[in-house]
Amino acid sequence: MTALPLATEKKLGLVIDLDTCVGCQACVTSCKEWNTGGYSAPLSDEQPYGADPHGAWLNRVHSYEAGDGAKGRTVHFPRSCLHCETPACVTVCPTGASYKRGEDGIVLVNPDTCIGCKLCSWACPYGAREYDYTDGIMKKCTLCIDRIYNETLSPEDRQPACVRACPTGARHFGDLGDKESAVSKLVAARGGYDLLPELGFKPTNKYLPPRPRKVEATTRAAPTEAISASDGSPAERLFAWVDKVLSA
Amino acid sequence: MLHILQMLLGAIETPGSFRVKPPYPKSIPPRIKPRGKAADVKPGTPLPGPQLGFVTTPDDLLVEDTGMPSRIDKAFSWDAPISAHGLMHMVITNAAKGDPYSIDTLFMYMANMSWNSSMNVPAVIDHLTAKDEATGEYKIPRIIYSDAYFSEMVPYADLILPDTTYLERWDCISLLDRPISDADGPADAIRHPVVQPDRDVRGFQDVLIDLGWRVGLQAFTKPDGSRKFPGGYPDYIVNHERGPGVGPLAGWRGKDGESFGKGEPNPKQLERYIANGGFHHHELAPEQRYMKFANRAYMEWAHAKGFLESTDRLVMQLYCEPLQRFRLAAEGHGAVTPPETHRHRIKTYFDPLPFWYEPFEEKAIDLNEFPMHAITQRPMHMYHSWGSQNAWLRQITAANRLFMSRGTAAEMQIVDDDWVWITSHQGRVKAQVKLMEGVNPETVWTWNAIGKRSGAWGLDKDAPEATRRFLLNHLIGELLPEREGGYRFSNSDPITGQAAWYDLRVRIEKADGEPPGTSPRFEPLTPPKGVGRSGR
Repeated sequence: MTALPLATEKKLGLVIDLDTCVGCQACVTSCKEWNTGGYSAPLSDEQPYGADPHGAWLNRVHSYEAGDGAKGRTVHFPRSCLHCETPACVTVCPTGASYKRGEDGIVLVNPDTCIGCKLCSWACPYGAREYDYTDGIMKKCTLCIDRIYNETLSPEDRQPACVRACPTGARHFGDLGDKESAVSKLVAARGGYDLLPELGFKPTNKYLPPRPRKVEATTRAAPTEAISASDGSPAERLFAWVDKVLSA
Repeated sequence: MLHILQMLLGAIETPGSFRVKPPYPKSIPPRIKPRGKAADVKPGTPLPGPQLGFVTTPDDLLVEDTGMPSRIDKAFSWDAPISAHGLMHMVITNAAKGDPYSIDTLFMYMANMSWNSSMNVPAVIDHLTAKDEATGEYKIPRIIYSDAYFSEMVPYADLILPDTTYLERWDCISLLDRPISDADGPADAIRHPVVQPDRDVRGFQDVLIDLGWRVGLQAFTKPDGSRKFPGGYPDYIVNHERGPGVGPLAGWRGKDGESFGKGEPNPKQLERYIANGGFHHHELAPEQRYMKFANRAYMEWAHAKGFLESTDRLVMQLYCEPLQRFRLAAEGHGAVTPPETHRHRIKTYFDPLPFWYEPFEEKAIDLNEFPMHAITQRPMHMYHSWGSQNAWLRQITAANRLFMSRGTAAEMQIVDDDWVWITSHQGRVKAQVKLMEGVNPETVWTWNAIGKRSGAWGLDKDAPEATRRFLLNHLIGELLPEREGGYRFSNSDPITGQAAWYDLRVRIEKADGEPPGTSPRFEPLTPPKGVGRSGR
């Protein structure tokens, strides 16, 4: 099937902060917007105004709850290609359409040689590949390869659309093969981790875990007595109210 | 209440605390009064000032000599004296009931008042089609409406002004309105057309400027009677001046385009905005960025740019003097006092110091019968999206569930995916539940405005937005129960007129033995010929 490069010069990828992602979907829609006009164009939609709308997206955000009761928390989990070092989606490809680039480690699909057999989507344990029903071929995150090297864009725009769009700064792009890069330092500082490392595909993208809570949620206190609207002078009532608020 | 606490803690405009985005802070309250008193209203001439503003004394109210409201929405009346945003949610109900009076024409822009922007949707739909039994005439005889989509409001209109989408028109996100500033400096922005319309539509601002000229408004007409803004809205954005040198956009003003804030109109201003990505951001000097309400470096600069009327420090009010003026009026002081029906209400709620009181709906109903709170919010990905049913966003959210605490549900033998009735004092809707941990046990919630009426918005009639959705709006009354004398107040804040969406109380019951599916459904809408996608 398709061979992998022995090593890559760079390991370009994303670092995604599960602590600050709020699930706003800005990365999802900006990815769709850029890529439906870029390298992967078009990203088709089926039944766009019908009973079962669905289409090809290269980045999705799923929201989960983890933990019970007051210890529970909502986690928004952005999911896209992890640009693995040893990706099974490439090695299973019968035509060589799926490939990993030697220079930067980006995993791409050549739309001219992809036959839409879907073997790669079966091989990927992360669900990162998307079949385009209209085009009949596989689509996937390109790390916005048509932005990051695009010298017609201003320097601050030469990063993936999802990173550029994130309003909370929860997405970071860089070379994870360079220990001195900002993304590598961020991963080291925050305990960034691999998804499903036991499967051995060595994902390049890293996730930063939610920070532990500083204060555990407390049970609701009994309601305090409503402040009477009619007794005392305004000044006395102000001080009584301030006292109540600050000592609650 | 949050801001009071911030004031007490000194947590306003200090590093790491709540900060204000220029052109704010403004004088507290801003010195703009709503116009529309009897003397202000002269047929054939515009109002002498804005129709919305900041009331600070009973003298500012827009009321008749009898004390009754002058405005159809009863804003700035004794019902809701400081309603700086108006009470749009009451206009249709008030007009249909002829309270405070009847109107002959209702003209609205992009407001889905027959659906998710109204309380008590079934009643509002009835109001829109109600006829006077004596004359056979509609209670609201003429409705003019502008929208870019076939929204739920369109079928009730007599005249439609088809609007463009945001991609097809000019817009101005101005420092005179609600700009895109951050705390480190003012910023404003434009939208500009990126595609040409493929159908017979016009941007609503262009239409208003045209109408303004046709009815002879001075602001849109040159002394010789010709159009003041022949180029339509982009012409207006560049050349309109609210005061000398102050216009809708603050960036690149002056003949040379080098002035910020104040300066002559610059004919190349829009080109400069487009070249900069559609926005202008002025970064404040480091010494101007904090304590802006009392920072000389900031205030002198803001005064020079027209943001502030003076450089006097702005005093935040813990004790709210304007509220006390209304309470004094309720006690009989001053020339303008509330009618007997409103005295107790004004005296109670216009307290110059904040206090808690039981919401009106809770006070009027049996809480054992309606033990739960029910609230909604817009999903982040659709927050300001008028076309939220578009091909991409509806792949993310096209149906809504009732989110409910797992523990509360277990007590009621409700499991995930069960169908339940949500009942308020106003009515009931059927919904499918999704259990979760992260919600207060006494509260249920759902996403707002996902539900569409079948046939609306260019969607197929079997779209999930029509079959697997519900609105809480059906459960929320727009009027409170009758008071002594039969008067019904709006279900709104007694001071600001803010719609009391969040006061809703409900009970949840399993919809056992009934076929699944949301309820109520309304008669599907049929788009007129030529609207929407063909063959559907």
